[in-house]
Amino acid sequence: MRSVAVALAVARKDLTSEWRTRELVPALAQFVVLALVIANFGFQIDSRNAPAIAPGVLWMALVFAGLVAFGRAFAAEREQSSLEALLMTPASPAAIFAGKALAAALLLVLCEAVLLPALALFFSVPLSFDVVSAVLLATVGMAVLGCLFAAMVARVRARELLLPLLTLPLWIPFIVFGGQAVQAAMGGGGGTGNTSGLLIDLDILFVVLTSLVARFVLDD
Amino acid sequence: MTRYEKGALAAVVLMLVAAGFIFLYAPTDALQGPVQRIFYLHVSSAIAAYGCFAVVLIGGVAYLWKENVAADRLARAGALVGLVFTTVTLVMGMIWAKPIWGTYWTWDARLTSTLVLWIIYAGYLMIRRLADPGRQAARFAAVVGIFGFIDVPVVHFSVTWWRTVHPGPVVINDALPPQMLIAFFVTMACTLFLAAVMIGIRYRIEVLTDQAAERVVPATIVAPTEAGSAR
Repeated sequence: MRSVAVALAVARKDLTSEWRTRELVPALAQFVVLALVIANFGFQIDSRNAPAIAPGVLWMALVFAGLVAFGRAFAAEREQSSLEALLMTPASPAAIFAGKALAAALLLVLCEAVLLPALALFFSVPLSFDVVSAVLLATVGMAVLGCLFAAMVARVRARELLLPLLTLPLWIPFIVFGGQAVQAAMGGGGGTGNTSGLLIDLDILFVVLTSLVARFVLDD
Repeated sequence: MTRYEKGALAAVVLMLVAAGFIFLYAPTDALQGPVQRIFYLHVSSAIAAYGCFAVVLIGGVAYLWKENVAADRLARAGALVGLVFTTVTLVMGMIWAKPIWGTYWTWDARLTSTLVLWIIYAGYLMIRRLADPGRQAARFAAVVGIFGFIDVPVVHFSVTWWRTVHPGPVVINDALPPQMLIAFFVTMACTLFLAAVMIGIRYRIEVLTDQAAERVVPATIVAPTEAGSAR
């Protein structure tokens, strides 16, 4: 119970500081719209190929926006050396980590709230419940993994270089099943079996594993 | 001759024995011809890579649990050797694929997951280089090794979970004639021995590297006083 309170307090702290500066979410929103513009030039989007290309563009934009969002999750703490102060409190490292991941995930959801309607508008693809649920389910696991490695690389040289190298390979399962679900929902084939169930399984697996190892990454 | 040189010599001799079984003992495949002989080393090095990454997993868990430096060194050695065997698997697979599938690469589930495996453990070696040496590098690498191992069963079961062009497990399904089976098991045993010797030698290198790193620090502290007393 105490851990939940700690996690919520840490998440609230991060969201408050984002609300006061309003840096990350507007920048990410701009970034994902730019990604759609670039995809248009890269693929020569027209009304015929849009449904086939849109799912790929969605995941590409989301993955790179996620890397930026989670990379920033520990940037402010590092710049102010406030993570050490947080860890000196009696709160458990896993709870602190959960709070950071929760806040980062919510910021990415805000970015998705721009990305998905923009995609539906510019690529004229349907925005169904299946698309939204697949993206949100993938966000949970991606946030947990992304924040774990962001916490790690925050203390390492060449962190911008290393975060994608460590994070992207482990995000692939979410992109595989999330991609299948979105392709099926946008009428591009694929989507075999129960992808939501698989995404939930993956979320549970990575949340459990991460909560077990979080203290080794945060604590020093 | 040191222990390590003897081990290396034995591994070379055993690999030559395996080559004898592959090229002289095993029959030529009726459909694919001589190129099928890649199978023996291709599958064996894949299994050796799985074994090496299991060493990384066990070493990592043991390090996080007991802070045992030896476990971490073993994990380091396993990651490097595993990466070598994954490279061998991928390259030999590509050479085999060209005449049989008509292309070096296809985005098949098993090929893709093996490539991801390679990238994960390349990342493992990267974080080792970029993190502060010692406890931090060992802890971070252990975490990457634990998460990375998730991909090993994915690679293994990819041929049954997804529709792929890559053949399924032929050995346990008893789809091979006995001579091929014997050649395969001989090659696998020799390759596993080679992997074990490589890990042993690499472990020794890691021990010496750690000792050298420990020696550098006191040397820089001691050197000025020695120079001062000499004057």
